[in-house]
Amino acid sequence: MTGTGAPDPDDADLRAAEYVLGTLDLREREAVEREAAGDPVARARIAAWERRLGPLAEAVPAEPPPPRVRAALLRALPKPGGADARQIEALRAQLRRWRTAAGGAGLLAAGLALFLAVGPSLKPADGRYLAVVQGGGTLPALIVRVDTRTGIAQVRRVNAEAPADRSLELWYVGTQGPKPLGLVDAGQSRVRLPAETTPDGVIAVSVEPPGGSPTGQPTGPVVYTGKLIAE
Amino acid sequence: MADDAALRRLIAGIGRGEADSLAALYDLTSPKLYGLILRIQRDRALAEDVLQDVYMRIWQAAGGYRPEAGRPMPWLATIARNRAIDSVRRKIEVQGPELDSGEDWVARLIDPHDGAAAFLDRDALVACLGRLEPLHRECVVRAYCEGRSREELALRFDRPVNTIKTWLHRALSALKTCLETAS
Repeated sequence: MTGTGAPDPDDADLRAAEYVLGTLDLREREAVEREAAGDPVARARIAAWERRLGPLAEAVPAEPPPPRVRAALLRALPKPGGADARQIEALRAQLRRWRTAAGGAGLLAAGLALFLAVGPSLKPADGRYLAVVQGGGTLPALIVRVDTRTGIAQVRRVNAEAPADRSLELWYVGTQGPKPLGLVDAGQSRVRLPAETTPDGVIAVSVEPPGGSPTGQPTGPVVYTGKLIAE
Repeated sequence: MADDAALRRLIAGIGRGEADSLAALYDLTSPKLYGLILRIQRDRALAEDVLQDVYMRIWQAAGGYRPEAGRPMPWLATIARNRAIDSVRRKIEVQGPELDSGEDWVARLIDPHDGAAAFLDRDALVACLGRLEPLHRECVVRAYCEGRSREELALRFDRPVNTIKTWLHRALSALKTCLETAS
């Protein structure tokens, strides 16, 4: 994994197998997920092992979870039918258009970067990237300027409308799933990036209750998303 | 267990942001996913957290689900297993004193007690598991079904961690060759 020699395809396949089996430690798991995020061949290796070993999941007996989990789950979802429902629906329509165009933003938001083509990794020229975070239209909604050397992102809101009684929350989505960066204010704001920020990551915006997600994970629809591009 | 078409319809509804669809999917699939999570994350309180997190991720991910990505139940099971394994690997110490669950997973696989529809690939996997060295098979099956780490398997089988790693690699290579021949 860390060697500089030519990668051995058998090694890569065994790593994918152990990833699916679950025997890698956390760092090895993250390394496999990082690799898969930018490499369709690596994703295909993992998918093939999921198919091979998948029938074993059948052997595990079902067990009804306690009712409190269902109640907590439904409480954590955004409330439907409020005054802002129509605006959220409009944002969702934008998201659907984006998804049709780009495919699978939701998977990435769920930390399942391995199933998603992120495109080739970018050379970290001098550690500065620009993310144009947009919804469905052609107008950029947010411009996020990322400097991985200082770990600071500057966010400028161009055209990001928050539904009434809702906050827009900014997320960095890497191989470890979404990390909250903060709320999107009207003006320009500076946010600190999580330590593991890489050019493969994606910046996303979700609709949250006022003050931000109560769970530390996006709970509402992801309405904007953008990739980091070298500045 | 609901059929694939019903699950696909619910996942599509969740992708449109329908909380009702998520609740319906939860009712149909949460016993299976909780079963999978609980075998790996044996702390019930933590397993409940993982279960809720899994459905929040399904809520987020459903819009990106494509039928080409595979059947819905294995897709859901993969999310659940990955979250459960992440949750146990995050802890430094080796899990739990209960190292021998006494379950015969291969026997259960041959005769799944919850009567789920047979996967096409199941018979081939059972046959190929049957050809492995018994200890190697135990390691593979306990890792997959119970989320055992290499260190836990080393403790369980009283062997160095590197030996376990070698066993796993041999077993996985043999499984792959066998399954490719079988298909």
